[in-house]
Amino acid sequence: MEGAQEDPAESSSSVPRFAEPAGSAGGAEVLPPEESGAAAKKLCGYLSKFGGKGPIRGWKSRWFFYDEKKCHLYYSRTAQDANPLDSIDLSTAVFDCKADAEEGTFEIKTANRIITLKAATKQVMLYWLQQLQMKRWEFYNSPPAPPAAPDAALAGNGPALRLELEQEEAEPDDFLGPVRTPPGLVGVAAALQPVPTMPLALQNISLKHLGTEIQNTMSNIRGNRQAQGTGHGPPGEDPPLSSEPQRAEQPLPSDPSTPGKDPADSPKPTPKSSLTANLIQKAKRQNNTFPFFADGLTRSRTAQEKVLALEQQVLMLTKELKSQKELVRILHKALEAAQQEKRATSAYLASAGEKDRLELVRHKVRQIAELGRQLEALEQERDSLVQTASLREQQVQELQQHVQLLMDKNQAKQQVICKLSEKVTQDFTHPPTQPPVPPGAADRDLLSQQEKMEQLKDDMEAYRTQNRFLNSEIHQVTKIWRRVAEKERALLMKCAYLQAKNCQVESKYLAGLRRLQEAVGGEATECSELLRQLIQEALQWEAGEASADGVELSPISEYDEYGFLTVPNYEMEDLKLLAKIQALEVHSHHLLAHEAVERPLRERWAALSDLAPSVELKQLLRAGVPREHRPRVWRWLVHLRVQHLQSPGRYQELLSRGQVREHPAARQIELDLHRTFPSNKHFTCPTSNFPDKLRRVLLAFSWQNPTIGYCQGLNRLAAIALLVLEEEESAFWCLVAIVETIMPADYYSKTLTSSQVDQRVLQDLLLEKLPRLMAHLGQHRVDLSFITFNWFLVVFADSLISNILLRVWDAFLYEGTKVVFRYALAIFKYNEEEILRLQDGLEIYQYLRFFTKTICNSQKLMNIAFNDMNPFPMKQLRQLRTVHRERLEAELHELERLKAEYLETRNSRDPAVPEGCTSEDEGEGGP
Amino acid sequence: MMAIRELKVCLLGDTGVGKSSIVCRFVQDHFDHNISPTIGASFMTKTVPCGNELHKFLIWDTAGQERFHSLAPMYYRGSAAAVIVYDITKQDSFHTLKKWVKELKEHGPENIVMAIAGNKCDLSDIREVPLKDAKEYAESIGAVVVETSAKNAINIEELFQGISRQIPPLDPHENGNNGAIKLGRSETLAWLPGRPAATGQELSLEKTPEKSAMLPPNGLWGVKCTWEGTC
Repeated sequence: MEGAQEDPAESSSSVPRFAEPAGSAGGAEVLPPEESGAAAKKLCGYLSKFGGKGPIRGWKSRWFFYDEKKCHLYYSRTAQDANPLDSIDLSTAVFDCKADAEEGTFEIKTANRIITLKAATKQVMLYWLQQLQMKRWEFYNSPPAPPAAPDAALAGNGPALRLELEQEEAEPDDFLGPVRTPPGLVGVAAALQPVPTMPLALQNISLKHLGTEIQNTMSNIRGNRQAQGTGHGPPGEDPPLSSEPQRAEQPLPSDPSTPGKDPADSPKPTPKSSLTANLIQKAKRQNNTFPFFADGLTRSRTAQEKVLALEQQVLMLTKELKSQKELVRILHKALEAAQQEKRATSAYLASAGEKDRLELVRHKVRQIAELGRQLEALEQERDSLVQTASLREQQVQELQQHVQLLMDKNQAKQQVICKLSEKVTQDFTHPPTQPPVPPGAADRDLLSQQEKMEQLKDDMEAYRTQNRFLNSEIHQVTKIWRRVAEKERALLMKCAYLQAKNCQVESKYLAGLRRLQEAVGGEATECSELLRQLIQEALQWEAGEASADGVELSPISEYDEYGFLTVPNYEMEDLKLLAKIQALEVHSHHLLAHEAVERPLRERWAALSDLAPSVELKQLLRAGVPREHRPRVWRWLVHLRVQHLQSPGRYQELLSRGQVREHPAARQIELDLHRTFPSNKHFTCPTSNFPDKLRRVLLAFSWQNPTIGYCQGLNRLAAIALLVLEEEESAFWCLVAIVETIMPADYYSKTLTSSQVDQRVLQDLLLEKLPRLMAHLGQHRVDLSFITFNWFLVVFADSLISNILLRVWDAFLYEGTKVVFRYALAIFKYNEEEILRLQDGLEIYQYLRFFTKTICNSQKLMNIAFNDMNPFPMKQLRQLRTVHRERLEAELHELERLKAEYLETRNSRDPAVPEGCTSEDEGEGGP
Repeated sequence: MMAIRELKVCLLGDTGVGKSSIVCRFVQDHFDHNISPTIGASFMTKTVPCGNELHKFLIWDTAGQERFHSLAPMYYRGSAAAVIVYDITKQDSFHTLKKWVKELKEHGPENIVMAIAGNKCDLSDIREVPLKDAKEYAESIGAVVVETSAKNAINIEELFQGISRQIPPLDPHENGNNGAIKLGRSETLAWLPGRPAATGQELSLEKTPEKSAMLPPNGLWGVKCTWEGTC
């Protein structure tokens, strides 16, 4: 659970991390990671929306922003508008982009409209699409606020479900790599960008949402006026605004990138504040900023001037300094020369004699001569150099001529090569067989082909992108669909559970009413009148309910899946309430069992490929076969029992025998045909073919087993077989399997001996397993065999409600009569307390008449039958049967003997009998 | 306070003659074309006033098919009255009725009240059994006879009123017994050899509650206890 909670946070924060390099590359904002995360989370930006009608149909720029709480994408004319024009519900939307459409065009399809949008670039489009997908996913992923405290039963599987989904979400969606956030075009920053210009100002105004348009305009105007009126922001504003002036006063050089930074830097509005409020704030802030800045400039003017003047002074002074320095340098040189002269003159003046002075002059003259010679040598050297230079010049000229020549040659050769290669390409492009095409046309052709190829490449690229996107879209939608389906299933389960609860409450209420009714009795008081009304109302409920909810929430239908009436058809007024209670209980049990019990069973049955006798199969059959598997399983069970009797064409042969000659039982069969399961629609519907099928099955059986022929009750057995197996030959063999292989011989014969034996066996077993109940019944002289005889003869077909009945049959067909004993005991055990409460024999009989139908918890009954009644050895059953058969036969013999004795005695006394009528009767009837 | 008398009544007759329908009409005043054939037996009660008494009928409806006849003794044993039903459109069912009368006379309680009901009188145009025959026969056995229609609710009440009239009024000496007497629920011997079967007019009450209380529970089934007394 913890891991699951962490997940969404991680996924959302991973996106901005990808997007951040793009932001910093833009150079505009360097934000702390959390803040950039928050900024990226806010999905908004300008997009063009296609819409309008008639002549003004076209693209309109709209400001789009996403509201996480509602999963709606709102749009307004500009970012500064207070009220959005409209919204798009993303929770039900799918996204699409078309490769062949204009660049950046994509669509949002909701259940009732398609919105065509256009982003500035393809990258922006992809960014939008991915963000929308992500938002939609986040919305579905966010744990929904439970409308009510979840029930204990549901809470059990709730977390598991959620966990499963979270894991799924964790798997990477690698169809489309995360798209980098296009800088400046989306996000809050984009709000400060100018609205993309439109050719017509009018076009941008939404005619559809004129009201909102006016409101927005008003709010803008108001915002402006407020800003102007108050100067330093409206009074009583929240703290973020009060910080504005300070920041504006900072002498920041106006950098083009700063506007982008502003909203990101400013404190984020708390998530609680509504979006519109946020927008108004933003608008005001923007309006406020400009005057503040201008004000700041005027203040700083004097200082700057001073600086400038000072700078100029500095410059002038520096120049002066430079010239002064130059002057100093010149003066230094002059000083140096003067000093040299002074030194020479002082030396000259210092030389004491003429000789020295002469020497000095000579020295000077020598120096001069030396210099003159040097000059001459240099002049000579120069001459020679000039000569060599001219010589070189000549050489160069020669060489230049040579080069010129070579160049000419080269050019000529190149021309030849060009011509030759041209010829070669011409030969290549236009094979000699083709008529020569003008070279210009060929060029154009080639160009256009290249162009086409380029276009195709572009298209391909576009299609590839579209394909990738659509793949991810499909993936996403599938995920969402699966999730929604899971949710729906959970809700349906909850619904079934609640319905079951409701049924239980209703049935309890009705039971309470019944008790009250009994308690009040026949007294004609106000109270009883009220009670009567309440009961009437309760009985009417069903009709009202059905029309009220009307949905397929499995309402109580009149007939069950096998066509039996769900509400037992008690005609007595006082039992109607009871019938309703029962139907409600059955329904609630059905609803509860459906998910909890039947689903795993169904899965086990579905997994069971081949049917083979085994302990597992026995357990499965005891738990009941799901309806969809029942015909197959029964066919197999029947085949297992009658394969030694079956032969191809046997059924048809038996039928044809009936056509030749009427079986003596045919009359009785015909009589019972329409009296079989009068509460089942398959047998009462005049157009149904079930009675015909039943007739044939019973007739065929009367030929199959002439000693039994037809016994009342066989119609019920065959009818159940028909209802499940539908096909009459299978039903016939099912009947054969029951009568000839499962039941002991003589069960349905003319004497019903085995049936009577089983009743005695049951008495013994009841005494053993339920001694308390039997003592109670004995005390009130209640003979259970009045009731139970029927159970055994028709295997509960008249007694149990259909879904329990068929479960009993599932096990009965596999395990045999033991199952009937087990269930007979279980039925008494199930209702033991109720019977023990009754203190009058008549009341007990009345209760036993219908009490089997009140059993609706098949699970409980099954547990009693197969667990509580253990041990239940077959050996004991066999022994008891043998003992009782012997006793019964002995009694029958005794009876015969006594009868004969009596007749003998009477015959001997006959003349003495005064009654004439009896003897007349005797004569007529004949012994 | 009116005395309540419990009267056990069993319905006998061929299959499909309308035994269950008669009971259904009498008890619930309802008719169903197709009532599931009775297997074993079904039990219902209805109380009707009779003179200064209340008669609570404990009605045991039985299966009609012949092979269930072997179970019949347990239903008519201890009965105060038996309604034997035939179908006026089926001669066969009248024959079956005679068999039942015979069996009751041989094995039934000695003073059982017999009432003959010719059911389906709404179908008199396909009648097979003339009313005269039935009347003559009933007279010969001292039984009440009436033609009924469960479908049209004809003579159903009358049938049971006829039975009520045949039940002799309470012996004033018995009044001390809580004001009620259980007639027919006593485990009177169903069949006494050598004793002539009594007609309704000769009804006499026998009460042996001590004996019935002694009966073991498993003896309730089958013929054993029925025959106990004779051994």
